[in-house]
Amino acid sequence: MMEQLQQALPIGLVFSPLIGVIVLLCIPRDKAGWLKGVGILATLPPSVLALLLYFQFDARAGGVQFEQRLPWFQIQLPQIPPWEVAFHFGVDGLSLPLAVMAALVATLAACASVYIQKRLKGYFLLFLLLEVGMLGVFLARNMFLFFLFFEVTLVTLFFLIGIWGSIYREKAANRFLLYNGLGSAFLLLAMIGLFVLFQSLDYSRMQEMAHDSRIQAMLAQEPVNNIVRGIFLCTVVAFAIKLPMFPFHTWMLRVHAEAPPAVVMIHSGVLLKMGAYGLIRFGVELFPQQMQAFAGVLALLGLINILYGAALAFVQNELRRLLAYASVSHMGIILFGIAALNVSGLTGAVFQAVSHGFISALLFFFIGSLYERTGTTDIRQLGGMARPAPVLTGIFLAGGLALLGLPGMSGFISEFLAFLGLFHEEPGLAAAGVLGLVLAAAYTLRAVLKAGFGPVAEQIKGMADTRWPETAPMMVLLSCIILIGVWPDVLGEPMKVTIQTIASRIGG
Amino acid sequence: MIANAWIIPLFPLVSFLLLLAGRKTFSERSAAWVGSLTACFALAGSVWVLLEQVGGSSYRAGLEWLSFGETNIRFGVEVDQLNALMLLVVSLVSFLVQVYSRRYMKGDERFPLFYAYLGLFTFSMLGLVISPNLLQMYIFWELVGVCSFLLIGFWYFKPEAKRAAKKAFIMTRIGDIGLFIAVILLFIHTGSFDWAQIFAVLEAGEIPPEVLTWITLLIFLGAVGKSGQFPLHTWLPDAMEGPTPVSALIHAATMVAAGVYLVARAFPLFEAAPIAMDVVAWTGAFTAMFAAAIALVQNDIKRVLAYSTVSQLGYMMLALGSVGYAAGVFHLMTHAFFKALLFLAAGAVILAFHHQQDIRRMGGLWNSHRRIGWFFLIGCLAISGIPPFAGFFSKEEILMAAYADGRIGVFLIGVVTAFLTAFYMFRLFFLVFWGESRRERQAVADPGMMRPIAVLAVLSVLAGFVQFPGDSFSQWLTGGAESAATGAGAVWIPLLSILVSLAGMALAWTMYAAKTVDPDLVSRRIPWAYRLLERKFYVDEAYNQVLIRPYRGLGLFLVGFDRYIVQGLVRIIAAVPRRIGVWARALQNGQFQTYTLVSVIGLVLLIIGLTAGRLFG
Repeated sequence: MMEQLQQALPIGLVFSPLIGVIVLLCIPRDKAGWLKGVGILATLPPSVLALLLYFQFDARAGGVQFEQRLPWFQIQLPQIPPWEVAFHFGVDGLSLPLAVMAALVATLAACASVYIQKRLKGYFLLFLLLEVGMLGVFLARNMFLFFLFFEVTLVTLFFLIGIWGSIYREKAANRFLLYNGLGSAFLLLAMIGLFVLFQSLDYSRMQEMAHDSRIQAMLAQEPVNNIVRGIFLCTVVAFAIKLPMFPFHTWMLRVHAEAPPAVVMIHSGVLLKMGAYGLIRFGVELFPQQMQAFAGVLALLGLINILYGAALAFVQNELRRLLAYASVSHMGIILFGIAALNVSGLTGAVFQAVSHGFISALLFFFIGSLYERTGTTDIRQLGGMARPAPVLTGIFLAGGLALLGLPGMSGFISEFLAFLGLFHEEPGLAAAGVLGLVLAAAYTLRAVLKAGFGPVAEQIKGMADTRWPETAPMMVLLSCIILIGVWPDVLGEPMKVTIQTIASRIGG
Repeated sequence: MIANAWIIPLFPLVSFLLLLAGRKTFSERSAAWVGSLTACFALAGSVWVLLEQVGGSSYRAGLEWLSFGETNIRFGVEVDQLNALMLLVVSLVSFLVQVYSRRYMKGDERFPLFYAYLGLFTFSMLGLVISPNLLQMYIFWELVGVCSFLLIGFWYFKPEAKRAAKKAFIMTRIGDIGLFIAVILLFIHTGSFDWAQIFAVLEAGEIPPEVLTWITLLIFLGAVGKSGQFPLHTWLPDAMEGPTPVSALIHAATMVAAGVYLVARAFPLFEAAPIAMDVVAWTGAFTAMFAAAIALVQNDIKRVLAYSTVSQLGYMMLALGSVGYAAGVFHLMTHAFFKALLFLAAGAVILAFHHQQDIRRMGGLWNSHRRIGWFFLIGCLAISGIPPFAGFFSKEEILMAAYADGRIGVFLIGVVTAFLTAFYMFRLFFLVFWGESRRERQAVADPGMMRPIAVLAVLSVLAGFVQFPGDSFSQWLTGGAESAATGAGAVWIPLLSILVSLAGMALAWTMYAAKTVDPDLVSRRIPWAYRLLERKFYVDEAYNQVLIRPYRGLGLFLVGFDRYIVQGLVRIIAAVPRRIGVWARALQNGQFQTYTLVSVIGLVLLIIGLTAGRLFG
């Protein structure tokens, strides 16, 4: 009995937000307090289940754990055995950290949703569906499911931006859908291609075949190898848009600037990481040879991301845009880690995904409470915030220090590991990328000091400091950041075996 | 106790956490008590550890911290001679500064927070000096940097403080990326972050020489940033915007010496890389003279001391680069005492003049504040290298080492700098304490302020005698490895150094006390030279023109690039579905592109919804 319950953990985790959906449907739309309360409470079960999963996960054993298949439907195809699609979930060292982070960030983003004013019922319904989508993305063990959940996040986010965003929300939502729709098209192509190649969309099965030397030899022949390369590129482009990789990043600027901060917490914290996850899960795991050939380009793109994002962040005056470009820069570090294709690089990439998830969630929570009080996020209109709002400024300062990779906080570990990995493979590009550390300090401190220090600006005189319902969630995020920074094995231990397996398969 | 050395840094950490949590509830009195008491515990522990270490025991231990693949990184503690000495210096100065700050920071609205930051700094600095591995050291290295940033910007409402804090962080970070790369390269070539293991691989000769040169130069870049060496020195004088106790603790005695400590810690690597040794020696020598020259014409009491710190740190680097390991570390210690003394005394002077820092508007303090005057004089004599004060012994060791090592240019620069040092220090002394009083003063005789100064004054007098007579200090520090070679130098070197120092003092006397020579002589005769010094050789301006403005310009250019070129590229892609949409419109009417996608996805969701029933059924 216990065993079965444990086995059902991933599937329970994925669909647990639906409890909230059902409860929400029963609440009248004008009961704002109830809706908010239920909306926040509904995100607690996933967090609890995710933590349970984390503590139950056997870090030493590695591999896929808590695997569960529930048959769904099958399609008869000519010449090959019938294609069975199952609700197939499970976790390994790669998906577990991301799923836990996603669940926690979702809960805290729900807390940040108290700033939402209109149509609360619809908002929380979509929010919870979005959470189902993103948890499903990380926990699915089959690419078809992955794709479905991926699309769920896309649609729900489209509405969340389009309805609850600020002035140019519709434009932002359309731009978002345009790019991500394009990404989905590539992903669909890649999925069909993979199905044709491997006759299965099951992760374990596909990985097995991808690393089978006979099949590898077969795929390396003309003209099959060109098709394989095409599928590989489709995969890369699909996730490069999501990450986002230069030059596909412009859509996310608008999302950052227009979507409500609580949604950006999810978007920047979790959804971008689906790009990183996808690149490792499908790019690295299924295309070891193509990935190795492509690693140099990937590292170069990573470098462009880091420097380009940093240079643009340095001249932004609008905090949200600044953080959007900072995200571009930080995603470059993920690309560095992946391009290294060795243990420390890949570990660094996953660390960066998780760490940046918490950091940008914290910073956008801050943006939410700042905007609530001042009605602006333009640093030219802010200044001297430390006097009227010392706690809020302290949190911004701490978040900023995390963003610039201060040791003792999570960002440092991930940057260090990613650079350590890439220095093994591409010392030149890595050395150029290290410049990003200085540039990160430059843009972060410029923002933090302009907003927090100096004489008090006219706009914020009499601004109130945060109250505990806001401070507490931000402190939780900050604690996560510091915990990972001070005791990195808390995150490193569960992913160790899985990353080692991935790296050893590609001979890195 | 030595086996429990890891507890020492935790005392100030507790202080930090307590005071941060209770920054609203603690009174000034209780906050100061918490800070001073924890620092006192740390000091007691450090003394104990040092005594045990002198008794001959060393210690190292650690626990697992981060593992990936086959690599296990450990976090731990190491106590050998150098660590034990640094523990003592850091905890002692920190304790004294915390006692002193109670009066100096009185009435500040964020008083408990100030003590909290001091606690965090002391924790980080103690953690830095007991690190057994390079990665751990790098972590604390950055943490002391951020504490420095927080404390420089402590008076956050002052625009100058804000600018200075930012500058300090970014300038030192430029150096830090050098250290960052060095840490990674060392790991790649030795497979470890551990000093012991790194040196073992070095002994085995497994690091290629050119790589070693690169690594040492990069480590030195880190030290250049932290210790304010040319060309990354400009942040340190600006850091004087912070409260004076902070300047004494962080920007004179401890943190800025971390760069010297780093080079000393990695000394075997440097010894194996002759090019790096050249760079260290010459950078140190150049910085020593360069900063001393600027100090000649500065008019802010703290800035004079700041440039003097830069110059003295240059001395230490010069010593290390001339294989004067013991000399460099010795000077680090004595400098910590007398420079902290000078800063704390300067703080008292500043209070006495109602927060006036311009020495042109001071004067005549000797008559009213004789005690401060004596302490300040001891500091001046110590830094000028007059026997029997501490600075004499360490400076003389450095000059000996430089002479013995054979770089005559470096040696000569050292001698010239000794002259300049004596001159600018006594210019400062005479301007502040001599002449007629130019401003209303207030009495400063708080024992809480005077006692720490007195302790430092005693140390500034006595600390030199650990190395005299005989060379017991360097014997102990190097474990007996450093032979009498440096000690056997000519007798004329100490005599020469005393002589030039006296000359400097005499010149200062004639210009600023006796006024037989017009102090404005130089500025009138060669105005361009004076202007060059006063503007600090235009280094800040150069950075602004060469780096900051172009970078901003690049950023602004990229804004346009991003908006028109990158987005334009994507518009072309966007045109494709629009094209399809146009075709499709022939068949259907209405908006097509976006909604198609939505409806397809909706269909998929519908299918899931319909079939998901099986799951529960």
